[in-house]
Amino acid sequence: MTTTEKISIRFQDLSSVRRRTDAVRNWALPILIVLVFVVASATVPEFFKFETIRSILLLTSITGIVAVGMTAVTLSGNLFSLGVTSSAVFSGVIYVWVGQATGSMYAAAAVAIVAAVVIGLVQGFIVGLGLNTVIVTLAFGSIIYGLIAILTKGEVVQAQGVNLEGFATFQIFGIPLPIYIFVVFTALAWFLTEHTLIGRNVHLLGSNKNTARNSGISPMGTTIWAFTAFSLSIGIAAVLQTSQMHQIQADNLPGLTMDVVAAVLVGGTAVTGGDGSPVKSAIGALFIATITQVMVLMSIPEGQRYFVLGVIVVALVVVLHLLRKAGTR
Amino acid sequence: MSSVGAWFKRYLLQFVVLILVVGSMYAMNPKFHVETSIERLIPLGVIAAGLAVTMIAGEFDLSIASMAAFSGAITVSLSGLGLLFAVFIAIVVGILLGMLQGWAIAKLGINSLVFTVGTLILIRGMTWLVLNGLAVRVQDITATDMFRSKILFLSPLSLAALVIIVGLGIFLSRTRWGRELYALGGGRHEAIAAGVRYKRGMIVAFGISGGCGAVGGALVSALGGSAAPDALEVMLVSALSAVLVGGISLAGGRGTMVNVFLGFAIIAILSAGLAGLGTKAFVSELFIGVLLLVVVLFDYFLGFISERDRRNKLRKLAAAAA
Repeated sequence: MTTTEKISIRFQDLSSVRRRTDAVRNWALPILIVLVFVVASATVPEFFKFETIRSILLLTSITGIVAVGMTAVTLSGNLFSLGVTSSAVFSGVIYVWVGQATGSMYAAAAVAIVAAVVIGLVQGFIVGLGLNTVIVTLAFGSIIYGLIAILTKGEVVQAQGVNLEGFATFQIFGIPLPIYIFVVFTALAWFLTEHTLIGRNVHLLGSNKNTARNSGISPMGTTIWAFTAFSLSIGIAAVLQTSQMHQIQADNLPGLTMDVVAAVLVGGTAVTGGDGSPVKSAIGALFIATITQVMVLMSIPEGQRYFVLGVIVVALVVVLHLLRKAGTR
Repeated sequence: MSSVGAWFKRYLLQFVVLILVVGSMYAMNPKFHVETSIERLIPLGVIAAGLAVTMIAGEFDLSIASMAAFSGAITVSLSGLGLLFAVFIAIVVGILLGMLQGWAIAKLGINSLVFTVGTLILIRGMTWLVLNGLAVRVQDITATDMFRSKILFLSPLSLAALVIIVGLGIFLSRTRWGRELYALGGGRHEAIAAGVRYKRGMIVAFGISGGCGAVGGALVSALGGSAAPDALEVMLVSALSAVLVGGISLAGGRGTMVNVFLGFAIIAILSAGLAGLGTKAFVSELFIGVLLLVVVLFDYFLGFISERDRRNKLRKLAAAAA
């Protein structure tokens, strides 16, 4: 046997290992969700009901939409944002104010989403210059939080005499609108990342910044695209969340940022960039919501729920990391 | 003389910002007292120091605020055995947990940003478990008085913070293990190839950050006599702001405890001064955010200009040679 043949066989071996670990990485979480569903249906009597599953999906939709959007940023090699909460609250406040002023929830939603995108673009531009995403989004988070608190004087913002709940209460076949939006948004994000030039550029920039730049991909432009997708998701989620709660306050949604980051990581998108998919993040969000809801139904107290969630996140993140390592060795 | 000049030049940006902040605070409020206002924020300095050590080693400990809350919970829960003893136990637990975390990160070769997002939730969950989901107070509230006494002119709190920051400064700059953290942060592969022990470095770095988080949290709880399961969440952001404003590089391998101290002083004086003016907490949050952004952008443009100058110089040299 010649040396080249030996080498090619070794590569075949490697690729078969890779294929196997990839299969595990892609299917582990969906299978785990199904398992949780089966076990929960068998042990918790009120679990397997239309209402429960609907509430799980509703719970997933807000975090899920942002997680799908954040995946673009993570995929492009820009780590993750630590300023989700304040951008979302800002957008929610705009939604209520514009809704109050114009009386139209559509106009309000449009303005709120545009506001979120504008904030996102500014951050995307600064990150595109080459600054660290974590610092930039953290700084913007503090600034925006301060601005909201000053503008609203820290009080609850509420719309009076205007119907702004339409987006949350509208249902088709008994399923609320946020769930449809979540599914459509995920599908769209999947199509954009897998089948368009922008999506490929985001992937390539994340896998190897220097190679991407040398092949003519603009890091600035691609980063800005990723942040556009991300901030769009924040705007949409904020509108849905605000119409669900009927009101918003500067201190709302404290856990959103970490929930979103956890969903992206549990989904299996690599924090180093270039490896992952929005669908995985959506599944990650669904998994966390399912586990949480199952524990709520089993009436496990809040503290223990938090603890179990932490154990699961650490375990999944470690397993995913080990699988990725085995696949690339 | 030149070394003193170099020292000042190294921290020039931070000194300028510090003087500007102190100056504007005095201008707005002539009765402003630096010492009394900083006192309350001392634990922040300790936590910032811990965060800085992991950043110097090229890693990141997002779980540090959860660690602080956990250690506060332990302190209050065990306060029946004597408050000092409880603080001691809390700190030991923090150091051990941190070392375990560092060991796991090194053993798995995992990105610490990813791992500590998980432990952030996990340790917060442990805090909920310890406190049973309720805010708890120390039974014997008079025991907290000893943390308000004075040793010479320093409170025990600032003394502890000073000892920790100076101690860590000496450790990082003068000991072999400390220098190894810089090597691991600046050039990981080169350091390992040169014989630096990666696993030991991670255990040391995360042990220190766990310990600092625990000291910070224990001090807050011991002073206030209470602990809550959702306490100190903002500590991560504040400490990170202090460290970054101070000039520690996120890329690793650069920065000293002087940076941490200056960053802490800037953030503490800014927020204490604004609070003294009667503004709400969110106003100082706004200012800290702006400050963080300005410092990072300024640093970026400085780097950009010096890089351009270097290139121009090289170009000229090349032209002269040809």
